[in-house]
Amino acid sequence: MSKAAPHKRRRVETGTDLCQVIAAPIVWSLHFLACYVWAAIHCEKAGRMADLDPARTGIFVLTGIALALIGFNTLRLWRIRARSLTDDDFDYDHDTPEERHRFLGHVALMLSVLSGVGVIYVAIPAVLVGTCR
Amino acid sequence: MPVIASHLHAWRRNPNPWLGPATLALLAGCNPAQSVLHPAGEDAAEIARLFWVMAVGAVVIWAVVFGAAVFAIVSRRKPTTERGADLVVLFGGVVFPTVTLGALLAYGLTLLPDWGPGEPPDLRVHVEAEQYWWRVRIEGPDGAMIETANEVVLPAGAEVDFHLTSPDVIHSFWIPPLGGKMDTIPGRENVLRLRPTTPGLYRGICAEFCGASHAFMAFEARVVPPEDFTAYLAAQAEPASGDASAFVAAGCGGCHTVRGVVELGATGPDLTHFASRATIAGILDNTSEILREWIAHPVAFKPDARMPSYDMLTDDQMDAILAFLGGLK
Ligand code: HEC
Ligand SMILES: [Cu+2]
Repeated sequence: MSKAAPHKRRRVETGTDLCQVIAAPIVWSLHFLACYVWAAIHCEKAGRMADLDPARTGIFVLTGIALALIGFNTLRLWRIRARSLTDDDFDYDHDTPEERHRFLGHVALMLSVLSGVGVIYVAIPAVLVGTCR
Repeated sequence: MPVIASHLHAWRRNPNPWLGPATLALLAGCNPAQSVLHPAGEDAAEIARLFWVMAVGAVVIWAVVFGAAVFAIVSRRKPTTERGADLVVLFGGVVFPTVTLGALLAYGLTLLPDWGPGEPPDLRVHVEAEQYWWRVRIEGPDGAMIETANEVVLPAGAEVDFHLTSPDVIHSFWIPPLGGKMDTIPGRENVLRLRPTTPGLYRGICAEFCGASHAFMAFEARVVPPEDFTAYLAAQAEPASGDASAFVAAGCGGCHTVRGVVELGATGPDLTHFASRATIAGILDNTSEILREWIAHPVAFKPDARMPSYDMLTDDQMDAILAFLGGLK
């Protein structure tokens, strides 16, 4: 995409803020905490050899919710920045508000995707591990 | 006093026959007795396989990345489209690492031990790691505990549970050719299950820094055919005999038990069948010359060892003690 028509869907100098940058990582960390705490409490009560299934169901539900939130966030950022990953949009040298928004939009998008991957990795053990052992 | 290293027990070297002389020279420092890459047990075989899978994968990825870099530098082609570049970044930078790491995670998770208390092992061995030696109690078929030290003998093919603990600090129990390591933690008992498969002589080590002689905290692990193990166990269960007067007079009996002869204290290693062991303290060749030096100056071999130096013994006293210890077959 050329520089001539960069920002179709938003007004220049708006788009993102710090809250949106950290939104996805926060979902990731809450998901992480909830999954581990849930499994830990379940296993502490049920014993070392117990079935992990109740906690697994919980973890899958939480994972679904987390991925939906992160997906929604990603989509929104994508709309703001719907452009190439590799174009000359990485020009942040002029210290202008527009550049700041583009930069934050970029960071937020990357973090959002990373958080999605993180959430999936947290959930993989729940798929493969069947007991509290 | 400087540490004397010249008497260290030489671990049998049995390198793979297919290694050429050149590789041998390169690998002179590698000792199969303590190598994870020469597995002699089920768990170690899985770990070695995991290592090779990851090593080969890493080499392939490395070659592709550097190939791409070289290609980018030397090729005279025009730049591709932006869309093409996007795809490369998206696939090579996001999709590929995510899928590869996910697959490795899944593979690693399948290697987790999955046995439970409902599946008893063939043999239980209770190990206490102490600064800087190993107290070993083998649970006999009748439940009786047979104590020895700095030596673990195992029947090939059997599933063995190691019950690990420590009275002082955290150590870690590791026989690299047989499987993974596990910490020994004061006040806790950790259970490590291994299944040794190949008879041989291996070296076990402490894998968690525990003090001045941590690096000398080793033991011999011997995997033998099952019938040999039965004989070993029967021999170890026997009490000892001999003239312990010099041993007791010097005060050795206050720390060392010799079953059937002196049973006053057990803060040090059990010596009931000391002469049948290959090593002194897990690291030295078990000869009477070296034993003489060990008794006179244990800290010369193991700095900070919890055994006092006996350099004041007369030659007669020392000879009598050596004769007694040498008879503890
Ligand atoms: C204060 C207790 C104490 C006394 C007394 C003592 N020892 Fe020891 N001894 C130990 C300890 C502890 C070790 C283990 C040292 C190490 O490897 O870190 C040891 C190790 C040994 C070993 C090596 C054991 C093995 O499993 O390879 C021998 C042999 C030995 N002592 C002989 C003697 C003799 C002989 C005397 C008397 C002259 C004696 N000890 C007196 C505490 C003692
Ligand atoms: Cu140690």
